[in-house]
Amino acid sequence: MKRSRFPLMITVAVLFFFYLPILILVVNSFNASRFESSWQGFSLRWYARLVHEPEIWQAARNSLIIAFSATAVSVILGTLAAVALHRFSKSRLQRFHYTLVYTPLVMPEILMGISLLMFFVSSGVRLGLFSIFLAHVTFCISFVAMVVLARLQDFDYSIVEAAQDLGAGWWATIRKVLLPMLLPGLMAGGLLAFTLSIDDFVITFFVAGPGSTTLPIRVYSMIKHGSPPLINALSTVLLVITFSAVAMSQRLSRSNQ
Amino acid sequence: MTKSREIKSRYFGLAGFIFLFLPMIFMAGCGKTKPRLNIYTWADYFKPGLVSRFEKEHNCRVVIDTFDSNEAMYAKLKAGAMGYDLLTPTSYMVSLMHSQNMIQRLDHRLLPNLIHIDPDYLKLAIDKTMDHSVPYMFVYTGLAYLKSKVPDFVPSWSMFDRADLKGRMTMLNDMRETIGAGLKFLGYSLNSTDEKELREAKEVVLRWKKNIAKFENEQYKTGIASGEFLVVASYSGDILQVRRENPDVMFAVPRQGTVISVDDLVIPQNAREMELAHAFINFLHDPAVAAENTMFLSYLCPNKDCYPLLSEEMRKNPAVFLDPEIRAKCEILADLGEANALYIKIWDEIKAAK
Repeated sequence: MKRSRFPLMITVAVLFFFYLPILILVVNSFNASRFESSWQGFSLRWYARLVHEPEIWQAARNSLIIAFSATAVSVILGTLAAVALHRFSKSRLQRFHYTLVYTPLVMPEILMGISLLMFFVSSGVRLGLFSIFLAHVTFCISFVAMVVLARLQDFDYSIVEAAQDLGAGWWATIRKVLLPMLLPGLMAGGLLAFTLSIDDFVITFFVAGPGSTTLPIRVYSMIKHGSPPLINALSTVLLVITFSAVAMSQRLSRSNQ
Repeated sequence: MTKSREIKSRYFGLAGFIFLFLPMIFMAGCGKTKPRLNIYTWADYFKPGLVSRFEKEHNCRVVIDTFDSNEAMYAKLKAGAMGYDLLTPTSYMVSLMHSQNMIQRLDHRLLPNLIHIDPDYLKLAIDKTMDHSVPYMFVYTGLAYLKSKVPDFVPSWSMFDRADLKGRMTMLNDMRETIGAGLKFLGYSLNSTDEKELREAKEVVLRWKKNIAKFENEQYKTGIASGEFLVVASYSGDILQVRRENPDVMFAVPRQGTVISVDDLVIPQNAREMELAHAFINFLHDPAVAAENTMFLSYLCPNKDCYPLLSEEMRKNPAVFLDPEIRAKCEILADLGEANALYIKIWDEIKAAK
C-alpha cells in the first residue's frame, strides 16, 4: 500500500513557514541596501557597523546579565514551589498557592509591567537592572514551577522513601535522588526562563531605569528610528549563537547516555 | 556516570558563580564618582561621537535609553518612573506633559546658545518663548515620488485624486496626519475642531482612499525605493535617507501646506542633573554641533547660525528648508483636548469604509 504523501506535505509547508522568514532575514543582513527593497550586492557593512555600536553591546550585556541571574534564581525558587505544590497538593493552602503561581501565566504582560512599576516606585526600589531582575524572576518562577511540576507528576515518591530506608539523610536524598531525577525538568524550566527573560519587551520596558536598556527595547526603538539592516545583522549573530548552543547541548546530552 | 556527575557539578558551579557575582554586577554602576546624565530619547537621535565629545568637555558620563513612541514614554513616566534628566518628546506630547506639570521650566541663563534659534521656525512652535522646551529637530510630512515614473507630478495633496496612479500610492496610517491632509487640502487648519470641516475632510479622505494601496507608516520607504509605489505620503527625513540609495526618489511639500512635527528637548520634573541637562541642551544648539547633527539625521535643527555650515546640497534642499511661502501655511499638531474623540470617530469611519 502506498503511504499518503499528506503528512510530508504538511511537514514541508510548516518548515517552509517557520524558516523562510528567518532565511530572508539572514540573506538581507548581507544586502548592501538599507531599505531591503532590492538586492544591491553582497556586503558585510552592517556587520562592520554592528561592531562600532557600543550602545547595542551595552544592551546585549544588560540582557545577558539579567537573563542569567533571573534564570538561576527562578529555577531555585520555582523548583521549591513545585516540590511544595506537589508534596502537599491536598491542602487548601497549597491550592491557593497554586492559583498564585499560575496567575502570572495568564495575566496580560502590560498589566504586570505597570503594576510592577507602580510597586517599585511606591516602595522606593531604584529602577535599573535590579528592578528588571526582580520583575523577570517574578514571571519566570511560574513557568519553572509549572515545568518542574509536570516532571513531578510521574515521580514515584517511594524512591525517596527507599533512599531514606537505606540510610540516606535529607541532604543526600536531595542531592543523589531528587535532583538527578528532576534534572531534565530543571534544565527545561531553566531554558524556558532564559528565553522568556532574554526576549521580554513589555514588562522590561516599564521597569527599566536609566542605563538599563535591554536588547529587545533597543531593537524595538531601532525599528522605528534606526537602521533595520543593522537589526538583521544582529539577529543573524544571535541566531548563530542560539543554533550552536542547541547543537552543543544536543551533543552533550547524547554523550551523556 | 562519573561524566554526568562532572557535568552536573559544573552546572552547580556555574550557578554558584552567578550568585557570587550577582551583587557585584549590580553594584558596578554605583562606584563611579563622575556625574551621570540620563537621556531618554529615540534610537540614533544624536550623531555618534558628539555624545562622547560632550562627556569629555563636561567630565561626565552620558547614558542614553530609548523609547519607540511618545505614548509609551508618557505612560511610563506618568506611572512614576524616575531618573531621567532629559527627554525628546514630540511637541504635542510636550504640551500634554506641561499641562500635567511633568516638565520643568528652563533656566535661560544656562542656555546662552538659545540666541541661535531661528525665529522663523520658533514662530511655528507651541512654546514660543522656550519656557519649558527647546526645539531640537523639525520634520515635515510631504509627498515622495519617483521622478522618472511620475513626470507630471504636482506638489499638491490632489495627487491622491489621480485615478491613473490607483493602487500605487500610500498615505500615512496616522489619524492626525491623514485627516490633517484632508483639512489642508480644503484650506482649513490642521487643528480644526469644527465638526462640519472635519466631515468635509472625511469625504475627501474617503475619496482618496479609493486610489491608494493602503495606509502605511514604515514600509513605504521600501516600497518607493523599489518602485512598487509611485507616490507616498511620508516624512522628509526618511525620504532623504532613501534618496541616498535611489536618487530617482524626490520629495515635495504640498503647496496647500502640511504637518510640521518637532521634537523638543525638555527636562522632566524629577531630574537630578539639572546643570548637565541644561549644558547638553546648550551643547546641541552650538552651531557647529547642530550642523553636524542635521547632516547626520537629515532633519532640520532650527539653529540659524548652523545653516551656513551645512553642505550646499542640504541648504538648497526644499525638504530641509521650506519655501517661506509654504512654511506660512504649515502647522504643528496641537493637543486637541476633547475634540480628540471626534477625530478618533472619524478616523474609525474612514478605516472601516469599503
